[in-house]
Amino acid sequence: MQVGQLLRSASFRLTTAYVALFSISVSILASLIYFSATAELQHEIRTRIQVDSVALGAEYARGGTSQLMQAMADRQRGHLVGGLDYTLYGSGGKLLFGKLPSTACRRGWVTFVGPPDGDEPPGEMEKLAVLVTPLAGGECLLVGDDIGKVRKFGSLILGSFGWVFLLTVTMAVAGGIFLSSRFLRRIEAINRTAEAIIEGDINRRIPRRGAPDDLDRLASTLNRMLDRTTSLMDSLRHVSNDVAHDLRTPLGRLRNTLENAKESISSPEDYRAVLDRAVFEVDGILDTFGAILRVAQIESGSRRSGFQRLSLSELVCDVCETFAPSMEDAGKTFLTDIQPGLYVQGDRELLVQSLVNILENAITHTAAGVRVIVSLKRSWRGVELSISDNGAGVPDAECENIFKRFYRLERSRSAAGNGLGLSIVAAVAELHGAKISSSSSNPGLKVTLLFSPVREAA
Amino acid sequence: MHILLMEDEPELGAYIVRRLGESGHRVDYASRGDTGLGLVSEGNYDLLIVDRMLPGVDGLSLVKSLRKRQPNLPVLFLSNLGGLDDRVEGLNSGGDDYLVKPFAFAELLARVNALLRRPQHTGQPTSMRVGNLEIDLIKRRVTRAGKKIDLQPREFELLEYLMRRTEQIVTRTMLLEGVWRYHFDPKTNIVETHISRLRSKIGSDMIQTVRGSGYLIRAGRAAS
Repeated sequence: MQVGQLLRSASFRLTTAYVALFSISVSILASLIYFSATAELQHEIRTRIQVDSVALGAEYARGGTSQLMQAMADRQRGHLVGGLDYTLYGSGGKLLFGKLPSTACRRGWVTFVGPPDGDEPPGEMEKLAVLVTPLAGGECLLVGDDIGKVRKFGSLILGSFGWVFLLTVTMAVAGGIFLSSRFLRRIEAINRTAEAIIEGDINRRIPRRGAPDDLDRLASTLNRMLDRTTSLMDSLRHVSNDVAHDLRTPLGRLRNTLENAKESISSPEDYRAVLDRAVFEVDGILDTFGAILRVAQIESGSRRSGFQRLSLSELVCDVCETFAPSMEDAGKTFLTDIQPGLYVQGDRELLVQSLVNILENAITHTAAGVRVIVSLKRSWRGVELSISDNGAGVPDAECENIFKRFYRLERSRSAAGNGLGLSIVAAVAELHGAKISSSSSNPGLKVTLLFSPVREAA
Repeated sequence: MHILLMEDEPELGAYIVRRLGESGHRVDYASRGDTGLGLVSEGNYDLLIVDRMLPGVDGLSLVKSLRKRQPNLPVLFLSNLGGLDDRVEGLNSGGDDYLVKPFAFAELLARVNALLRRPQHTGQPTSMRVGNLEIDLIKRRVTRAGKKIDLQPREFELLEYLMRRTEQIVTRTMLLEGVWRYHFDPKTNIVETHISRLRSKIGSDMIQTVRGSGYLIRAGRAAS
């Protein structure tokens, strides 16, 4: 995996954006803390200076200059490093105490900048905030403190924030790279699989890690999609093989008929007979084509738009009534058990066609004397239409196959038909969202269509 | 009868023209919708046969616009589209019948003749008679030479359909559409089965099978 690819990856870019956002918020937080802390500290220093100035003023009022100076000396002695600076100028401007430079003796704050006294950051001058208090006897009291330490405190805050910031960004970038590379590896696996499939290895599947995360779910969904595509392609291939095979047979017969005719025909009656046979074969081929197109059309699902609520009971009754004579002629016992008033959402023509195909099969593929039962009833599973017979039946292993295109049982190969009848039924069932199944009815075959019922119109 | 055929496949067009000519009809031919429309306004036709898909003006809109001027001119659609929706669309636009390709010529001829003989006014008869076979549509009773014949409802409808077209060829598909209302071929022998039942009930001499075409009913030989 290249660095460039890593840096372009979606997850890395996401991480970068996240880090940037995080940095901005940390900076805002740092400056907020910086400004409020230094302001608070300055305020505190000035309050201390003010309080002390008032206290010294009181000493002066009680005992004049001498007591004031005594108090200042006491304070300076008692203080440790960083205490307040006291200075007193006499009425003539003479320095009586302390070392602060003189200034106009007006009440208020002044700022002095002087040489460093050791507690400043290297290379900076000392900065003092001084409160000037004129006294009653013309003396001038100056109380001040180093405000450089406010700055020092501030830079301490900023410094620690800086370290935290650096650490965080480093970790975020590292984490981003780590996560992206992991993510990219898995994306890359999907990509490689897709490439392999494009190259022609259609049985390749995306490897899965077995953890139930979103990428694994995606992989399993994609794999299922590929399975479905493969099975569709397989069935398509089968269909085209089957079509080719099943059309070759009648075309071959047609060719033989015509070739024989060319050599052996002598009378107009012969011509007529040959042409009739030819037309019969061509009709069979057209029928097969028609059925293939029909299955395709039904499977495309386009007819679902024309669905209507219809009485399945009436439809089944109607078809059974129509079929009764054919059943009788074929020597079958035909019984119906149809519950009235059952409705489904569907396409009448296709449903009729399905039932006709199943009944035709029952007539064609069973012996005389067989009993055929059509039953329509509502069960707890839905509306259930079943057609059963007690004929030779279908071996259990073949039950699923009978719905496949062109599938015909070995013993039925010689009977009329194109092997598409039940494929149409299966396609129609699928279109209607109905479950279709075939089972042995011991003996015989039972085909069941299970529809979801429609509420009767109010 | 004078028929106008509009069909864009020249081979099929020539074939239909020739076969209809042999059956005693006079046929004009147009391969485009717009030229066909021009011919209609000039000639005096008894029937139009129109392909749904035509260059120039397509069949559907052609018939729609034609219907405003000549509401009684029978129209038969030919089409490659055999779905129920396509059929309904064709009939809604003003077609009287709809035939899906590929078809046997006999099928086309039977439908052409049925359309040409269709009575212009559709007064419903209450009873019909062919030879000595009589059908009462109100009481739903069938008698032959005065003897009552019991028919199943479907057999009755079948007989009624045939008798409304006495001595006229009716194809298997026409019966599926008219009697069963199946606008598709379910590929079964239900028509044959019902015809043979009906024959056995009313006497085998009346309903004749026309080879390769269909059936027709006419007064039986046994009838006077």
